[in-house]
Amino acid sequence: MSLAGISLIVIGLLWGLGGSIWLLSHRKYRLVQVPTFAMDLLGFPVEFAQSLWGRAGVPYALLLPNMLIFGFFTFLPMILNFYVSFTGGSSISLFSRPWVGWENYGDIFACETIFSPRTCSNEGFNFWTGLFNTLVFVAIQVPLLCIVALATALVVNQNIRGRGFWRAMFFYPVMLSPVVIANIWNWVLHRKGVLNEGLGGAANAMSSLAGMTGFDIVASVFFAILLMVASERALRSGHEPSVAWTSAFGVLFLAVFTWANPLSLLGVEGQASFWLGLVLALGLVWIVSVGHGVARMAIFAASLIAIALLLTIQFDAVFDFGRFRPINWLVTPDTGWAMFWLVFVFCWSHMGFYMLILLAGLQAIPRDLYEAAKMDATKPSRAFYRITLPLVMPTLVVVLVLSLIRGFQVFDEVWLLTGGGPGRETFMMVQNIYETAFTGQTPDYGAAAAGSVLMAIVIAVFTFFQLFITRRQSEL
Amino acid sequence: MTTLSTFLTRTKGRADRRGGIGAQDVLTYGYLIFGVLIILLPVLWTLLSSVKPERAIDNFDTRLRPLAPIVAEIEGVGSKELFIYTDDAGNETNVFKAGPTRVITDVATPDQPTAVFQVPKDQLQIAEEVRIATENYLDPILKRNGQDNFTFFTYLFNSVFVTVVATLITLLINAMAAFALSKYKFRGRLTFTLLIVATLLIPSSIILVSLFFVVWSFGIFGSLWGVIIPAAATPTGVFLLRQYMLTIPDELLEAARMDAASEWRIFWRIVMPLSLPALSVLAILSVIWRWNDFLWPLIVLISDPAQHTLQIGLTTFSGEFDSDFHYILAMTVVSLIPITLVFVWLQRFITTGIATTGLK
Repeated sequence: MSLAGISLIVIGLLWGLGGSIWLLSHRKYRLVQVPTFAMDLLGFPVEFAQSLWGRAGVPYALLLPNMLIFGFFTFLPMILNFYVSFTGGSSISLFSRPWVGWENYGDIFACETIFSPRTCSNEGFNFWTGLFNTLVFVAIQVPLLCIVALATALVVNQNIRGRGFWRAMFFYPVMLSPVVIANIWNWVLHRKGVLNEGLGGAANAMSSLAGMTGFDIVASVFFAILLMVASERALRSGHEPSVAWTSAFGVLFLAVFTWANPLSLLGVEGQASFWLGLVLALGLVWIVSVGHGVARMAIFAASLIAIALLLTIQFDAVFDFGRFRPINWLVTPDTGWAMFWLVFVFCWSHMGFYMLILLAGLQAIPRDLYEAAKMDATKPSRAFYRITLPLVMPTLVVVLVLSLIRGFQVFDEVWLLTGGGPGRETFMMVQNIYETAFTGQTPDYGAAAAGSVLMAIVIAVFTFFQLFITRRQSEL
Repeated sequence: MTTLSTFLTRTKGRADRRGGIGAQDVLTYGYLIFGVLIILLPVLWTLLSSVKPERAIDNFDTRLRPLAPIVAEIEGVGSKELFIYTDDAGNETNVFKAGPTRVITDVATPDQPTAVFQVPKDQLQIAEEVRIATENYLDPILKRNGQDNFTFFTYLFNSVFVTVVATLITLLINAMAAFALSKYKFRGRLTFTLLIVATLLIPSSIILVSLFFVVWSFGIFGSLWGVIIPAAATPTGVFLLRQYMLTIPDELLEAARMDAASEWRIFWRIVMPLSLPALSVLAILSVIWRWNDFLWPLIVLISDPAQHTLQIGLTTFSGEFDSDFHYILAMTVVSLIPITLVFVWLQRFITTGIATTGLK
């Protein structure tokens, strides 16, 4: 019987027996008042505090259980973390742990150059690999999650049919546990899984279609019609170009630009055409959405360029994918697919929660602002930049901070999907702490605690940095 | 059906729209449908796969229907898989293989098992039927066919126990703290509030190691209480309830004090019933948190299989049977069902509740 057990029994006896005696001697209960008696017994410490110190004692008694748990299970470990990080060995008893000073920290920083973890000691390698992987993960995932959540919230906030249904659907993955999510995606992403099967089928169908005679002509005409329709609709609507149709046109423009690969004429190979096309398409959408004077001219010029490029594309070569080789998404090293899918799955499973918070922020924006904007014939895109975005900014900052803190702590999905692999490509900070302390043959609590302290510092720096940048909008 | 259609076609907000479908509507609904497909397809595919027979799963059969080879009991031969033989005229007959598979294979019809004849292998096609593989579910749950590692009901009990008890404790102590912070003026109120804000900023995963020491020295390591107690006090819950309780008028409390009600009775009889909306939001959040909790239960409960929650049990099960995908998928679906039912039942309440309380 441990000390905690004995004290628990003593408290239980005092509470149950002492409380019953005290209550029965102070108040009268009839037989039908058994539930009332149970309720009073549950709150016996509060009742007792009131009888001892009057009403002034009550709030302290009310706060006691909450603060005890916070104290023992949040603040005490927080302080203990520092102590443990200065001790070594694998003993579980706190007082028999030898004091080693800065040794655990020294091991982590024992590197020739910190930015290449391979030159570090073992602990250093694990910690810095975890830190850099986590930073990459957070840098991709947090902006992506915020943009997707904001876009979804904006769409769901519109006057659409069945908005409750859509909102519920987007929220559904939040309810699923990490294990379920990992098993589902493991099954989908398996080398022989349904994703590879579907991609392979689509690629083969496309290749065989591209192999038919006359495909080049048909595809050129088809895309020419698409381009013309999109640019015509973009130019025609109202007295200013339509942003929605310009976006559709931008996507087409990007595709044509990438396939035509005009930069290869200049001797620039690789993905350069795609990125240039992306910049041009985004620029076009931006020009139209801010209502610039040259918007019409820009769309017109872009469609001329697109048509010219269209004539140079060999469509049968573009759509011939050759034989499709199934990709081992989560296992093949040096492809970045494992990290990509982790970011994807993480966004997939957490997006709904942030979408709901942003939706609450969007719905708090007074309707009459939009009414007034409508009176002044403000374009929707301008209303977005001038009304929606500034007013939803406080909520967006909250979402940013929450998702940043959450992103740094990523463990469940990663550990279950890739286990940190391939190699150490997705080895995260929390996994380092967990494996150092709890899975090895000789648990190294000291090193794990030192890693935790450093991780706390990293998170604190990033959170405060972010709050500092956005301090005007923040209401935290 | 009517309620479903009204639910699906209900709109809210401005009604002054021009008729017809513009580009914006196309984009909007395209985005929504695309998003919902991405969210639902993996889950539906898992559901569908979980009822496929073991052989279809092992072969990564990506056809939609759960197809299994037809096995027939043939007199004097035993049970054999049936094949469809298409002869040159296009007639189809059911046959079974009477010998090893070669380019020219010996086959016979089930009616005349002794009348062996020879056919080319590429004219044979395996005969399949649609069969829902209930054994994927029943074997681990009923511990048949050597599947006694997944003690489903123990895991379910543990998960439900942790979820229910932790949620009740969380509701009670968070409501008590919120009541104290919102309805009393006392020395140290600001200090306590700041302390609770501070816990909001301490991520749980950076105190893992030392929390392990604390829980160990309390003697609750390895038991369900080691999972329940440390996370029972949530700063989010205290703030959510405090914001809500601030809106309860003080006059109600004063009136009760006039009638000589004790403070505890005021809390239990007046404040708790009035904060029911906020309490139920916190209850839902707490259920989601506890049910899906993973890392801390993994540390505390991993050594004792009798204490595993559903999540931990499923993890170790998936780890042990890396190849038995049919059981893993079925058990994944089993552990997905309770929370899905809760969600379908309460979805409106959950989404509006979280959105309107402005969880921050």
